[in-house]
Amino acid sequence: MMHKIPIGSITYAIKARDILRKSGFKASVERKTAEYKSGCGYAVVFEGDGQKAKELITSAGIKSGEII
Amino acid sequence: MIYLDNAATTGIKPPEVKAAVNNAMKNYCANPGRGGHKRSVMTSTAVYDVRLKLSDFFGGAGGEKVAFTANCTHAINFVIKGLVKPNDHVVVSELEHNAVMRPLLSATDNFSVFEVSLDDDNKTLENLISAINDKTKLVICTAASNVIGKILPIKEIGEICRERGIYFAVDAAQGGGVIPIDMLKMNIDFLCIAPHKGLYAPMGTGVLIANKELERTVIEGGNGIDSLSLIQRPDMPEGIESGTVSVPGIMGIGAGVDFVKKLGIKQIYRHELNLVKYLYDGLEKAEGVILYAPKPTENQYAPVISFNLENKNSEETAIYLNEKGIAVRAGYHCSFAAHNKLNTTNTGTVRVSPCVFNTFDEISKFIYYIKKMQK
Repeated sequence: MMHKIPIGSITYAIKARDILRKSGFKASVERKTAEYKSGCGYAVVFEGDGQKAKELITSAGIKSGEII
Repeated sequence: MIYLDNAATTGIKPPEVKAAVNNAMKNYCANPGRGGHKRSVMTSTAVYDVRLKLSDFFGGAGGEKVAFTANCTHAINFVIKGLVKPNDHVVVSELEHNAVMRPLLSATDNFSVFEVSLDDDNKTLENLISAINDKTKLVICTAASNVIGKILPIKEIGEICRERGIYFAVDAAQGGGVIPIDMLKMNIDFLCIAPHKGLYAPMGTGVLIANKELERTVIEGGNGIDSLSLIQRPDMPEGIESGTVSVPGIMGIGAGVDFVKKLGIKQIYRHELNLVKYLYDGLEKAEGVILYAPKPTENQYAPVISFNLENKNSEETAIYLNEKGIAVRAGYHCSFAAHNKLNTTNTGTVRVSPCVFNTFDEISKFIYYIKKMQK
């Protein structure tokens, strides 16, 4: 199942992408769209366990929004 | 031309740096961190890769701690104006470039200057400790003087700051890419780099690596984040990258880091230091030459020498050398502080600074013309 986590900064979105990829997730970066209901920025998009991905990103010190 | 003004900017940029810039102009013409289209994300990723390279090269705490600025002076301004309030106490060395002194004076008049010994780092450290008080918020100093090349004991300075809970910032305009700098091992909180010097990158580039957080923004504008908010946070890196960054410059920086790593920073330094030692020996033997520092030694001096000819203004010497096809810089080198220490505020000095591409033959020619001028 595809999930998205809004990150904001492109730099941190790419960092999050790389963290997820190293943990075996298929991840990419996309621009935030209207569904995020927040200001502009970026999100990391991935397939797999959303909660685990969120934990990995958070434990790396990356601030992120709710999983979509 | 024999270009010996590399402390101003390296006069030869390696082919791989030029190729990286050209490639960026051809394939990375998109604004990173703005659009969602393929080229923007591709450019953003390429920029991020250079952040990672720089963090790795300088011992930063991660690519996200690396920001790109227009030049090293801007990076220093972000640190000083992003941290220092009018009543904060700051400590600087007596060899600082105006890139430190001018923004410092605009931020606070509460600062102390520590004397740098040209041949005894322990004395320098004692002087630093004497300058620090219980209100000191920041110590900022050069890694190496742009006038006489003296390398400051930044690892030990970092330890002193860490023990006292003081921020430590380094102006690595002359040191970055020339001497090994590891922020984490040296307890450096903020590192300001001039990639167009020691990293052989294009001019118009600067880098700030901030392992600690800045307290406020200095330049605000669009940065691709939270456009609906009129408040900008100083969070690295985009918090200080308002406006469009120079993608060709950044790609050039990445190639420059690769170039220095390929040759080896120690090998580059050794070659350049041997050139200035050879130059020093030649100048010392020549008639009527005034030298302003001891003979450069390894790990104590960057490859920069200042001198004058007796009874000649430094600009006069530089004009003569230019007529002979040799480029140096005369005058005050944007460093009142250093020239004040050397007592050369009336004459300035002639500064010679080789890079990895200079040769012993070129230095021999330099010495020949100096001797000829004196006759």
